[in-house]
Amino acid sequence: MLPAPLLDLDRVSIRHEGAEAATPVDVSFEVGRGEVVLILGPSGCGKSTLTLALDGLVPHAVPAALEGTVRVAGLDTSEHPVGVLSEHVAMVFQDPDAQIVTGTVLDEVCFAPENQLAPASEVLERAERALKLVGLWDRRAENPDTLSGGGRQRLAIACALAMAAPVLVLDEPTANLDPAGIDEVYAVLRELASERDHAVVLVEHNLDAAVDIVDRVIVLDASGRLVIDGPAREVLRERADELVALGVWLPVSTLAAMRLRDAGVVLDPLPLSPAELASALDALPSLPAPLSESSPVRSTALSPRPTLSMGAATGALAVVGETAIRARDLSVRRGGRRGPIVVEGVDLDVAAGDFLAIVGTNGAGKTSLLQALAGVIPAPRGAVEVLGVDPARCAARERARRIGFVFQNPEHQFIAPTVAEELAQGLRLQGVPEADAAPRVEAMLTRFGLEGLRDQHPFLLSGGQKRRLSVGTALIAGAPVLALDEPTFGQDRARASELLDMLRGLNDDGTTVLVVTHDLQLVADYASHIAVMSDGRLLGVGPTVEVLAGPLVEQAGLRHPPLARATRGLARHTAWHAVTRMSQLPVSSRAAS
Amino acid sequence: MSAPADEREHHAASAALDPYAEHRTQRPARFLYALNPLVKLAAPLPLMVVVMFSRGIALPLAFIVFAAAVLLIGARLPGRAVAALFLGIPIAALVLGVSFGVWIDPSSVADHPAASVTLVSIGDWDFTLAAYVVGFATGLRILAILLLSLIAGVTSTGTEFVRSMVQNLRVPYRLGYTALAALRFVPRFGHELEIIRAAHRVRGTEVGRGPVAAVRRALGYIVPLLASAIRHAERVALAMDARAFGAHRTRTERHLSPWRVRDTVFVACFLAVGIVITVLTWGR
Repeated sequence: MLPAPLLDLDRVSIRHEGAEAATPVDVSFEVGRGEVVLILGPSGCGKSTLTLALDGLVPHAVPAALEGTVRVAGLDTSEHPVGVLSEHVAMVFQDPDAQIVTGTVLDEVCFAPENQLAPASEVLERAERALKLVGLWDRRAENPDTLSGGGRQRLAIACALAMAAPVLVLDEPTANLDPAGIDEVYAVLRELASERDHAVVLVEHNLDAAVDIVDRVIVLDASGRLVIDGPAREVLRERADELVALGVWLPVSTLAAMRLRDAGVVLDPLPLSPAELASALDALPSLPAPLSESSPVRSTALSPRPTLSMGAATGALAVVGETAIRARDLSVRRGGRRGPIVVEGVDLDVAAGDFLAIVGTNGAGKTSLLQALAGVIPAPRGAVEVLGVDPARCAARERARRIGFVFQNPEHQFIAPTVAEELAQGLRLQGVPEADAAPRVEAMLTRFGLEGLRDQHPFLLSGGQKRRLSVGTALIAGAPVLALDEPTFGQDRARASELLDMLRGLNDDGTTVLVVTHDLQLVADYASHIAVMSDGRLLGVGPTVEVLAGPLVEQAGLRHPPLARATRGLARHTAWHAVTRMSQLPVSSRAAS
Repeated sequence: MSAPADEREHHAASAALDPYAEHRTQRPARFLYALNPLVKLAAPLPLMVVVMFSRGIALPLAFIVFAAAVLLIGARLPGRAVAALFLGIPIAALVLGVSFGVWIDPSSVADHPAASVTLVSIGDWDFTLAAYVVGFATGLRILAILLLSLIAGVTSTGTEFVRSMVQNLRVPYRLGYTALAALRFVPRFGHELEIIRAAHRVRGTEVGRGPVAAVRRALGYIVPLLASAIRHAERVALAMDARAFGAHRTRTERHLSPWRVRDTVFVACFLAVGIVITVLTWGR
């Protein structure tokens, strides 16, 4: 008889306590030794829930009902406790900070084998092997807090490896990381995948990073049913249209090639990485000219289908072209007068109507700069001016009338018991009489699709609704400038796309938008200008296309977005070197008309 | 979680509060480090009780000298700490004398020999030498207790305490190590509270002064802080479950923390000295 597969799922449905429908539904598959399996699906399809079932956390630790059977190395998970199953399956979760429980890197890696009652000598042996594999052995005596985000997630992987389990399950391991951290984690995963010692089950929405290490793809649809299970490259290439229709995210290079195919430029097979896209393009004798910056065609990596912009209705609230924000020799210290300088000598002008993205690696000072510009943290007197006032020194109502600030976690900003109250609060601050406030609250609720939720507690909204409400509260006082700190951090593509499309709508209506982000493809697609930060200093600022074509991005320690990486090195088509955003790709004459 | 740019601040904050900070490199060759952490708590504890119920200046003073001597001989203190011991303690005692002294009811020290010596008088209120002496003694008692507790505090870490409580006192390891993991929450929530306060300031909640407005503001911070605390705790619990925490009745201990003969000897000697000091100085 054949040995039992490492993982064996038979008609698995999981329903969370209080949920109406089960997601996933009726899912069956097996995973064998050495396989690297990627689970894909639109948000809400139950991918993460499924990973929790693979080591018994569902149903043992999470209140959810499991139907069907999950077998781990032949053991039925509903009959064995998580402790027993963890001998066979190790987990890595999304948030590196929520996985650290001890005081040193070494203690952390030893934690699981100690729980498993491995002899002390073996604990150390396993820890040493795991830490060397992820490159943290030299830092074993340090407190995990001193590691970068990518370092802490590599530590989480080492902790999982030290459990000596043959299956490694990773749930969105890079969603909370900056590009450098993502590269670090995938370098480790690539090595693991090539050793073929472990079976790896991966949930990941960043396919650009994951695509070259996976062998097999399992796709769930929005209702949580398994619709595709097959070899990775074939599935992604041959069923790309089906995947897009399901709401699954594809590599940027693949999406670009699909755009080109619609425009009559056929690349077969579809490329999956920037390098493949580049060589496929160079293999063609000629390409149509890319579209200019000013063309009205709109498309992005998040919604690649080209659409025509509605025509700019700018100038409604601020006079476009005037300076909205002006910073001169702006320096910021954190934690009081003796704290470290996190922003140093920044001179920056933001014109009204701009969509400015502030980019840089972790710790470059992006958030501090944005907070100082918006008056959230104090800047030296006279260093910042927002529409004629110093935002850190004027009254809250004066500031709220000029600039709205949206924090990374919208919950942090909620202060009222209902959605409508949350919006009304901003008007009360302005001294607007109740009678005048009601219609403005109503208008804001309608604008952000929250009409039906006016009496709901803000904390009970869905993630996307919370985000929309927080933007609404920032704008209700009529602020023509909106600043957002990492608005897409930790979110899946669908939610990021919803938010960014909304920001672009606001920007089209004349709102000046400032965002801090590290997702450079989003920057390329949405921002009109980029400010590049490194070590607290502003390396440069300029129109998106110019900045992405220049050396600043690499000087700041960032990598170019996938599309730019593909087009920069084209040997045959020099006119394409400046193509960095999806909307620059040519469209068929039919679509453009 | 943390905004990247805030990370350095976050680290600085957690370094200050780092309950794990091991004496990582070579352990100093002083005797206190070689003792079981529980010993360093168990031996001074009865003496702290004695100090608490003592009166007068001689006894707490003697215990301060004793505890300082144990610390100086038994632990490797950084230069700043030694300076604090020699300068900070006397200054603190003198200052505490004033601040406790002013709270003392003059009539309760009326029959003290120094009650007639008035140091300062404001209106019909006199600050007498007697009040100062009584306040000074109170200050000394607090400092003595502080120094006695430092014997354990400066020479062992939170991890070591938990380890010996689990090994020597049979405290369930699930409890001990969960408490240790929960210590990580403290700097994290502190940082989160900072962000929430900034976020609420932006919304214009700083209008209104006085204690009522302050209480209302503080209540407003609780909901978001609690929401994120619960979510974080759930995630940590899942991560610990997934790493087999609590799967077995015991867990492997890489560091043994046995109760040795020298631990018993230390307790015996420490208490003996304590008794001698008490007998010699009680009531003086």
